[in-house]
Amino acid sequence: MTGDVGLIPLIPERTRVVDWHRVGAVTLRWTAAILGALAIFSVLLVAKGSSPTEVFVDMWISTFGRAKSVEEIIIKMAPIVLAALAVAVPARAGLTNVGGQGQLIIGAVAAAGTALLLDGMLPGTVVFILMIVAGMTAGAAWAGIAALLRLTVKVNEAVSTLLLNFVALDLLLFLIYQPWRESSTGQPSTRELADAAKIPVVTGTGVNIGILLAVIAAAAVYFVLNYTRWGFRISVAGGNPEAARRAGMPVAALLLSALLVGGALAGLAGMINFAGTEYKLRPGFGASFGYLGFLASWLAAHKPLPILVAAFVFAALAVGGDSLQLDAQLPAATVNILTALILVAVLGWTRSKEKAL
Amino acid sequence: MSLIIDVMTGAVRGGTSIMYAGLGETVSERSGVVNLGIEGSMLMGALGAYIVTVESGNPWLGVLAGALTGAFLSAIHAVLVVWRGANQFASGLTLLFLALGLTSLFGSTYVGKSVTGFSPIAIPGLSDIPFVGPVLFNQDPLVYLSFVVVPVIWFVLFRTRAGLLLRTAGERSEALSVNGYSIRTVRTWAITAGGALAGIGGAQLSIAYTQTWFENMVAGRGFIAIALVIFASWNPIIIMGGAYLFGAALALAPALQARGVIVNQFALDAIPFVLTLAVLAILGKRTLSAAPDELKRVFENAPPAKT
Amino acid sequence: MAHPSSSTPPILSVTGFTKHFGEVKANTGVNLDVLAGEVHALVGENGAGKSTLLKMIYGIYEPDSGEMQIDGARVEPGNPAEARGLGIGMVFQDLRLVPALTVAENVALSLPGGQLLRLDAIAKKIEHASAQHGLAVHPKAKVRHLSIGERQRVEILKVLMTGARLVILDEPTSVLAPQEVDALFSVVRQLRDSGFGVVIVTHKLGEVRAIADRVTVLRGGVPILEGVDPAGYTNDELIEAMVGRAVDTIQADRTPGAKHDDDRPVLHLVDVRALGDRGHEALKGISFEVRRGELVGIAGVAGSGQRELCEVALGLRPTSAGRVILSGTETRRPTDAIRAGAVSVPEDPVSDAVVSRLSVLEHMALDGRALPRKGVGIDWAAIRRKTHTANERMQLRIAPPHRRVSELSGGNIQRVVLTRELSIDCSLVVAAYPSRGLDVANVNRTQEILLERRRGGAGVLMVSEDLDELMAIADRIVVMHDGHVSGIVDYADFDRQYIGRLMLGGAA
Repeated sequence: MTGDVGLIPLIPERTRVVDWHRVGAVTLRWTAAILGALAIFSVLLVAKGSSPTEVFVDMWISTFGRAKSVEEIIIKMAPIVLAALAVAVPARAGLTNVGGQGQLIIGAVAAAGTALLLDGMLPGTVVFILMIVAGMTAGAAWAGIAALLRLTVKVNEAVSTLLLNFVALDLLLFLIYQPWRESSTGQPSTRELADAAKIPVVTGTGVNIGILLAVIAAAAVYFVLNYTRWGFRISVAGGNPEAARRAGMPVAALLLSALLVGGALAGLAGMINFAGTEYKLRPGFGASFGYLGFLASWLAAHKPLPILVAAFVFAALAVGGDSLQLDAQLPAATVNILTALILVAVLGWTRSKEKAL
Repeated sequence: MSLIIDVMTGAVRGGTSIMYAGLGETVSERSGVVNLGIEGSMLMGALGAYIVTVESGNPWLGVLAGALTGAFLSAIHAVLVVWRGANQFASGLTLLFLALGLTSLFGSTYVGKSVTGFSPIAIPGLSDIPFVGPVLFNQDPLVYLSFVVVPVIWFVLFRTRAGLLLRTAGERSEALSVNGYSIRTVRTWAITAGGALAGIGGAQLSIAYTQTWFENMVAGRGFIAIALVIFASWNPIIIMGGAYLFGAALALAPALQARGVIVNQFALDAIPFVLTLAVLAILGKRTLSAAPDELKRVFENAPPAKT
Repeated sequence: MAHPSSSTPPILSVTGFTKHFGEVKANTGVNLDVLAGEVHALVGENGAGKSTLLKMIYGIYEPDSGEMQIDGARVEPGNPAEARGLGIGMVFQDLRLVPALTVAENVALSLPGGQLLRLDAIAKKIEHASAQHGLAVHPKAKVRHLSIGERQRVEILKVLMTGARLVILDEPTSVLAPQEVDALFSVVRQLRDSGFGVVIVTHKLGEVRAIADRVTVLRGGVPILEGVDPAGYTNDELIEAMVGRAVDTIQADRTPGAKHDDDRPVLHLVDVRALGDRGHEALKGISFEVRRGELVGIAGVAGSGQRELCEVALGLRPTSAGRVILSGTETRRPTDAIRAGAVSVPEDPVSDAVVSRLSVLEHMALDGRALPRKGVGIDWAAIRRKTHTANERMQLRIAPPHRRVSELSGGNIQRVVLTRELSIDCSLVVAAYPSRGLDVANVNRTQEILLERRRGGAGVLMVSEDLDELMAIADRIVVMHDGHVSGIVDYADFDRQYIGRLMLGGAA
């Protein structure tokens, strides 16, 4: 009996049995999906006049063959993991958070604001902690706007979070073009974060410990979703709100909390990207980590541990894009094709068809 | 006065691409499917039109190519969502990434290439009318085309059988199968046609408004269009007004700057989104009651109806 | 009554239709013929095979064997469009109109025609047809704004305008108020007199007597009576044909001693008003009470406010006026009701109680009581023990705990819900249609459990559409009609005719 193990998963029996046929079928479909994506990408490269084999070999070597690139992948992975978790937690409550990008930006803005105000006055560690708090709070608040709109006037959160992304982006640009701008000449940006408040780097490498925070967050989300009462409650509220209401659960509070947690995770992603990688706000800050996180969460079916894998794949592809530009003289954004094709294959051909319209 | 004329002229020129995309998104959403890939369809349309115009010298062929490339991308959305049961939001964003990649790959050699696209043509007589003339009748041919497209879309939606089927797909799809029509076919056509409209919007951007191509040149206009559709409660006529309103917000800063008034562009850029959010917040329930029923189902994550 | 000559072949003639879904024998050797100018009632309990038969006639299902003729010629409609082409028109129970469209647009949807919608011409046609058949509708009204009865008229009109000569009405009265039923029947009579063939599905005997020229009774997918004149049968004979047994239910012991000494009300409703989902007033001033050790039945035509009543009692639906008092405390929220010791069996467990990804065990935890703690987690072992005990006690044989509830049949889901709710120590049971989807043995077991709870001192409020079930076990029956309480009948005064009149809003 499982009662003695200490922790019992929500779905005890199901997770215990490994159905090798299913595992085999799933592996097969994923392999086919990825091969299909690579094949189409090759055809496009040929159409453009490049040699697919050369491009792939170059990409592979420069992505995984250089220590610098591997570090780069790990650095990029952290915000993607957190942005994906920001989608996965609300998804458990039946909510679609398309707003990771905006929450990430707002988290970074709050962290940067905190730093601009305090990093000259307080010790680095204190500023660092305050930035985390500010980033997460701001991300949660930004998601909270969407949650409140949903709970009060029933505006769907997918729409409102999406729209809020652009408001956040415009707010960021507004700030760095004027009030927070370091100098009126050159590229608009804020001044650089004080060294003491930057996220520590693993000794001997260029990798900041953001990845550690991201992995811990993924493990924590896995634990919370699967082993806590809150995790169970949000699954019920997400699966059938009426059933949850009849069981006396505070459905509104559960939905609100799930979206707030999501926003806080995205806010943390923004903070890490600011204090660990970019050190200043500039146009193009945060790349499209929020959207990549959204897609990574879908790729991983909103499961925290597979999200780590999906985020690694996307981060590697993003780094591979940079090497594409250097080695094959193709635009870095070309690699988005591969990212998208993998998702097209996975969204369209690796899940059961029962939900087709 | 000249400021207002400048802003309004800019609003019409800049708002037209958003209007086309908004009309496309309306067609798609009226059939019950959200297409976040509309931004991607605009990008594809912008590049497709640019390449064909550069190579052929005929901007009308370019418009056709823009419509086709925009439709192609949305057709993938249709396949994924309608035939393969993929999530609409995930599929839409995926296709945006696909478009970003494809257009940067195939567009790289066209960056900086000059094009002979559409230039504003003053319509004799009409363009001399004070205020209205310069704003509406000294524009490029795709703006004039939009004056026709808006009522045509309205007519198709509300006065033809195709439109009736499309709206039924969006309101209560079972009613289609009961009457012997295929929900999937209707939606596939609607989404694809929506992509074609967005492609024309992209074409207006690249070969008429800016007459240039650069990577990611659509820069969020597709998402403004998505906001616009909600703002206009899925009504093509209001889309037209809303597109000009949003276009005016975007045209205000340059017009002021030309007069030496420094404004922060980005506060104005946020207007379409803030305005749409405000409309949703204030008229939330009313706006959503105008939404097609099947679309509400998408939004509420309810299981889709059995076909 | 119109009796056409027997020389013309029937409009529709079905012989030996058989359709099995795996183990389930939905139809076996079913015959049905419908003449021009007659109303043929198709009667049977839920699950008797009526829908399957209709779906085969309408081209949705293909029969395993058997044949079908229209006007004496053999036909095999492969889909509804082909069936319509043959002159078969179907009015579904869940009406298939598009609420956001106008009546004319809805009609246009099912009429052939060119790309251009000539809505004005269609509106004229509708007006013409509605005058001809006595079906008043406004062609330009949006369907969303029409009442259920009006929508039904639109459906019938639509079917007639597409050229149907055989009109099939699938349980048309189940959604109608009594006066609307009268209006519908006068339309049906008019159709019959103009030479249409009409099939009307019902399970109400009164309706058979009121409208049908002939009746076919199905039970368990097999025809029991085939096209007979109902006048030749007594009510008891028809009921026996439907249910196959002299109704043999538990007769509850209602001796006063069974009641609790302490008979304070556990549920007290004082002039309660509430809105329904469509914004109409669904409860129009309801007052009654349920005392400890008492089983109160709620009878009424479907849609008289039963659903809203249950939800109000459980704090699930806000009241617009009046007071809901559970065990002495006023109830406004679901948690109030749970704290006051209420348990409930929802009317539609699939939509109101089932969380598709979760297992039976996880559903057993959703009883509204605090989740047993184990650190920050849940003590699943405790829930497993509780499930085991409950299953032993209730004897409703629920599915194994690890099964996903979404994979279970309706009856199995109902048993999980019943086992969970009725094993809780409670002061009030609100059970809406508790025997829905269950087989006879489980129906009886469920009734026994409800009576056990009553003997144990709980108050029981039970909604049922089966008057016999209520009369067998209730201490009192509260009859609802159109959001009002039209009468409260004590056990001593139970009388079918009387309660039936109250259900239809007749004076007490």
